[in-house]
Amino acid sequence: MTRRTVLVLLGAAVIVTIGSAAWLIGRRPVRTFASQTTVLSPPMQAAEFALESADGPVTLRDLRGRHVVLFFGYSFCPDVCPLTMQRLDRALDLLEEDADRVQVVMITVDPERDTPARMRQYVSQFDPSFLGLSGSEEAVHKVATDYGIFHAKVEREDGGPYTMDHTATVLVLTDTGELVLLWPHGMEAETMASDLRTLLGG
Amino acid sequence: MKRIVIAGSAVVVGLVILLPAGFALLRPVTVLPRIELAPGYDFVDQNGRRFTSEDARGTITLYSFAYTDCPMPCDGVFDVMWSVQAALDTVDTGGLPVRLVTIGIDHRRDFPGALTQLAARAGAKPDVWTFASGDSVRLLRTVRNGFGVFYEGMPDSTYRFSPAYILVDGVGIVRGDYRIGVPRAEDLVDGIARIAREARAEGVAHVMYEAAHFFACYSE
Repeated sequence: MTRRTVLVLLGAAVIVTIGSAAWLIGRRPVRTFASQTTVLSPPMQAAEFALESADGPVTLRDLRGRHVVLFFGYSFCPDVCPLTMQRLDRALDLLEEDADRVQVVMITVDPERDTPARMRQYVSQFDPSFLGLSGSEEAVHKVATDYGIFHAKVEREDGGPYTMDHTATVLVLTDTGELVLLWPHGMEAETMASDLRTLLGG
Repeated sequence: MKRIVIAGSAVVVGLVILLPAGFALLRPVTVLPRIELAPGYDFVDQNGRRFTSEDARGTITLYSFAYTDCPMPCDGVFDVMWSVQAALDTVDTGGLPVRLVTIGIDHRRDFPGALTQLAARAGAKPDVWTFASGDSVRLLRTVRNGFGVFYEGMPDSTYRFSPAYILVDGVGIVRGDYRIGVPRAEDLVDGIARIAREARAEGVAHVMYEAAHFFACYSE
């Protein structure tokens, strides 16, 4: 084998390596997320939904182009929901200009009381960019089931307004509508921001 | 010196190419695929207690489906589930809890008392194997729409349905869906063990498992 042949083979190998590396990096196989985050690699296609915002119908497809942080809660929620929404607001603050690439969406699990207008009012308390969605009981139940969210009405013994038990997992979807991260309840804003930064910049 | 540099570069380049290719071809680690999110649900168990998908979070859960007075194919379902239950003592899950759940699909009869009898008939250990059911709407949403298991009530009060066994990890992701023929209990136990090993993996081992997902190195 001549020296020239060796160089040609080596050059070809380098090109293949760079190409493979670019492809792998493009698919982002190795990224560092928080230890409590569940990373779906490869991501799963998220279930389509059609719900109502105060401004009209919204589908998952309408949200393409932005990463979606999805939380299921309700406006009468005493603790879990406001805490999560506050942390999401803080996480977006930490992202600074990258926050424009993320859409926080809260879907009610209590469509009986949470109208689209009420959802807008509720989420706007935390951040005006947050999107609050409601819909028919059937539509809400369907999307909750599709996303693995348990929810049930709980009547209070003191006769006060009912509460809702519900899964407090936060789901993160890519800008192409694929489910990629699951955050358990209680994630700190800094951790969420770090994960989002990794996702956006990865 | 130049030759050494060239040879060294060639080795490095070769490794960079061969390692991922080798991983994909040789499949040193295999995993169960992440299929979809398991549905959220809100049922009542054989003891009359509320049983929800949140109770299953953090445990590896094997779901099956049956109903009160079910002649066929429930006996076969119970045989498989009982065999899995019996084999669990031999599986090292590293402390990760495993739960078997049979969902009663008959909203008219699968009340706690009937589910207790069904559990006794199946030989279920109460701390391992839960029987649960709910109203028709909840069942329809969870079983048919969520797990994708078809069932249909017949005029003679029986149900037509195809047995299915669905394995869900502690995060709530469906990792195994066995509904063609009757699966061997060993395969279901192997699936449970695989999920447990993956859940416990840390550091380099965790990266290997993620690489296995990335390269679709799925177990048979």
